[in-house]
Amino acid sequence: MADDRSELLDQFIDALLEGGRPAPDGMVGDEAPVARLAAELAAAGDPSRGAPDPAFVEQLRLRMRDADAGISSVEGWALPAAAPLHRIRLTRRDLLRVGLGAAAGLAAGAGAISILRPSAREPLVGNGRPLVRDGQWVAVASLADLPPGAAVRFSTTAFDGYVVNDAGTIRALSSVCTHMGCTLSYREEWQDLRCPCHGASFNLSGYLANGSDGWSEESGYAGDAQAYPIELPPLVRPEVKVSGLRVLVWTARA
Amino acid sequence: MASSDRNPDPRARFEAIYDQHVTAIHRFVYARVGNRPDAEDLTGQVFMRAVEQLDLDRPAPQVSAWLYRVAQNAVADYWRAFYRLPQIGVEQVAAAWEPVTPQPDPHADADADRAATAVRGLLKRLPEQYARVLELRFLHRLSVAETASQLGISHGNAKVLQYRALRKAALLVESDG
Repeated sequence: MADDRSELLDQFIDALLEGGRPAPDGMVGDEAPVARLAAELAAAGDPSRGAPDPAFVEQLRLRMRDADAGISSVEGWALPAAAPLHRIRLTRRDLLRVGLGAAAGLAAGAGAISILRPSAREPLVGNGRPLVRDGQWVAVASLADLPPGAAVRFSTTAFDGYVVNDAGTIRALSSVCTHMGCTLSYREEWQDLRCPCHGASFNLSGYLANGSDGWSEESGYAGDAQAYPIELPPLVRPEVKVSGLRVLVWTARA
Repeated sequence: MASSDRNPDPRARFEAIYDQHVTAIHRFVYARVGNRPDAEDLTGQVFMRAVEQLDLDRPAPQVSAWLYRVAQNAVADYWRAFYRLPQIGVEQVAAAWEPVTPQPDPHADADADRAATAVRGLLKRLPEQYARVLELRFLHRLSVAETASQLGISHGNAKVLQYRALRKAALLVESDG
């Protein structure tokens, strides 16, 4: 009925005009053009003309510095079983290879196919030099809590994430979904980080694991009925190291 | 800018690009999603991606075009994901996966103003009552009750009128294609 629909749309519009984040609950797909037009109208009527909040601009600047410090100095720690702790510094290319191997291993286990995004191979800002040098090492977990396949959630003043033991490699990953910023949950069974909001899954190398490339009807992902329909950038991966029996993560000073 | 191109410190160069574009990109996104929390999320996505993937050695117009292309795609993904419902079949998902036509606009600082002009043009093409209800609700930001009172109609009728006006306007936009 038009009345029901107009009621839902009205709630949507109220959220827009009050400056909140509108929820699509109960709206149906063919309402998208109407909702989209409502959003454009709401924007056109905003007296601020969509100028960003200065606090947001500064917060994003700090997030970018933190991310750059992490991404451009990615480091893996290999912990071969029954071998002495052995430090390995991986280049980004190495990490992609490691990630690809891990993804292929996962795929074999889950009967799914996982392919890394080619876009992740583009060059980094600053040729691998971190944009932010003023960070610090923060101990976030004990090695004893990280047998292969385990993950430990951590939170520092500047960063929330997981440290994981991905088949012998210790890695730190952001716990913030790169779609809308929801907090990811670790699923030991699938060895992934899952977003509760729209169902994105990231593998333990930080890449979207249930995207549409590599998806086929026979071999989906982790029981999902369909591929995640949009491409997402990988998770931020801060540098990680092991000192004694502690796992430390490089994070910006906040 | 030539001065920032010559700055050897990539961090300073990146932040110069950020400072130069963040307002315009936020406006570009905001004009399309209509609310601040989502506009901030998408603007964040654009620049977080830029941290990882933007080649600072490109000439300034290409950097600008790259940012707008990523922003355009982020908005398209936003509207796709917004209406991603569990009952959608695989074929429909595939159909929704058409590549977005990139429409980078190197001069998009004026984008928000152009969007406002486009909205006013659209309202002119609607029947008068439809245009009035949208103008009162969205441009003057009146509540439904205030809008109803201005138009001399009931609260319920104002909602229905608003709904029909939006549908009609959306059809016009679609037919413009």
